[in-house]
Amino acid sequence: MNEYIGIVAGILLAGGITASMLILSSVLGKKNPTPEKLEPFECGKEPFSLPMGKMAVSFYLTAILFILFDVEVIFLYPWAIVYRELGMLGLVEVCVFVGILMIGFVYAWANGALEWAGQCSTGQRSTGQPRRD
Amino acid sequence: MNGVTLTDLGLLLPELILLGAALVLLLTAHRTRTTSVPTVVTLLAAAAALWVTGRVSPDAAENGFGGMLVADGYARFFRLLSAAGLAVVTLFADRRLRETDIPRPEFQTLLLLASVGMMLAASSADLLPLYLALELITICAYVLVGIRVERPHANEAAIKYFLSGSFASALMLLGISLIYGLTGTTTFDGIATALTAAPEGASPLLVGGIGLVVGGLAFKVAAVPFHAWAPDTYQGASAPVAAFLAAGSKAAGLAALGRVVVTALGPESQTTATMLVALAGLSVVLGSLVAAAQTDMKRLLAYSSIAHAGFALMGVASGTKEGAAATMTYAAFYVFMTLGAFGMVIALGERGERVDGYRGLAAQRPGAAATMLLFLLALTGIPLTAGFTAKFSVIRSAVGAGRIELAVLAVLASVVAAFVYMRVAVGMYMKEPTEPVPARFAPAVKLALAVAAGMTLAGGIFPGLLDSWTVSP
Repeated sequence: MNEYIGIVAGILLAGGITASMLILSSVLGKKNPTPEKLEPFECGKEPFSLPMGKMAVSFYLTAILFILFDVEVIFLYPWAIVYRELGMLGLVEVCVFVGILMIGFVYAWANGALEWAGQCSTGQRSTGQPRRD
Repeated sequence: MNGVTLTDLGLLLPELILLGAALVLLLTAHRTRTTSVPTVVTLLAAAAALWVTGRVSPDAAENGFGGMLVADGYARFFRLLSAAGLAVVTLFADRRLRETDIPRPEFQTLLLLASVGMMLAASSADLLPLYLALELITICAYVLVGIRVERPHANEAAIKYFLSGSFASALMLLGISLIYGLTGTTTFDGIATALTAAPEGASPLLVGGIGLVVGGLAFKVAAVPFHAWAPDTYQGASAPVAAFLAAGSKAAGLAALGRVVVTALGPESQTTATMLVALAGLSVVLGSLVAAAQTDMKRLLAYSSIAHAGFALMGVASGTKEGAAATMTYAAFYVFMTLGAFGMVIALGERGERVDGYRGLAAQRPGAAATMLLFLLALTGIPLTAGFTAKFSVIRSAVGAGRIELAVLAVLASVVAAFVYMRVAVGMYMKEPTEPVPARFAPAVKLALAVAAGMTLAGGIFPGLLDSWTVSP
């Protein structure tokens, strides 16, 4: 049971600090409510608005491509630590793994996922290929 | 330290062939978008996988990857079924891909990768590879369902499938972790040994874990009450994708369920039988009843597939090897029947997607109407079609296991289902045509329909056709 005491202490500490922050600020803080402050999320942006216009998806594409390299590093790091024990077989396996990941990257590259110009404004591919949609 | 050896990779040869084809298609995607290369490569890969798998004897059983995968007769059976389903769907989809703007290399790549998942699901001997295989199928299927990005219906279907599918996967993972916590292992053999050695009966936690795993797998086969995604997804997806989901994805779910229930959870067969009987009973009744109210053909076939999932589960529910073999027979024949019916929907185009679109088809195209009639009779379960052989084997296994009430329920549901399918048949033969004569079918579609119709007839005329192939785990 002892090994769980740390977790319990962590929960109590986190909960206590959060609760005391909320209670102290509501008891001691100055109150000057304005309509903006009473909104559920006060962050300088309209909380509710209709989705007007199109969004450029290039940011999402870049983020998704980043996952390729992210996954690669997650696997390469532990492999690098036991590199000597795994020897040649490990090297071959990692090369196969990276190769398959790179095929995904080549696919994205060849199909214009890295072309920023033109994609944001019109949604057209700038590679001169026929549009797929 | 045990590395992967060449022997291990040899067990995965059919999967590696399909994976290699998928990677080649991805690498060359920007050049082959408007050509037939993806279709041809997929067909060649499927044929190679069929050949490589067929060469192995059904009685051979080899373990690989430290006992995580097993290549036995059971895996062989479902590998052949997956490769055949892949080939038939590719033939059906060829014309549709040419006429629409679906990106062809991507479509075929996703089909190939999903088929790899199906093969792996049938040969997994451990809960973790099984989970990964099922995820491989469903993640490819999410994209395939929404592959026509400009169609709101397809997007809606994909997002519904994705949300409910992720939820089901999460629940299944929780179930796996509970079973792992109680038995200390995730290999099927290890779980069976631990469950046999357990001094007391099933603990509530174990029942919960088994329930979550069985529920997660029931989601993949769309058994009631885990069926809600199927009608919307089939309706929104393009017809070849719906065919692939109804046939391949369901067969893979049944394959996984069969192996888990018979090997890993064998010692707890009382618990699993209760769950499976409930799933099967609900599915046959609800699937058959709700199908009667449909006007969209893909929705009708979706509810029909739910009812058929219930029938297929009756075999596994008996908990015996014979029951598992009955489910295998059912899965195989059902794949060809439903692929045939979906193939006709694909071949007839927009008209084929409405139930009243079949009015007067017999007067316009007698051959097409007769082929559709064969698939409808088979789905009903009329003798001399594979549907009867399949239904007979699962109902016999249910009676053999003493589940008379389930067998009676299944027969009653078949009567209701007959009404559903015969409504389409009556429209074809007894109504006046209201629409122009459909265009001639493409040769690829004809070939695929012939394969499906051939299997459907052969299974009915020779009921023992698959007996030497159905090797239960």
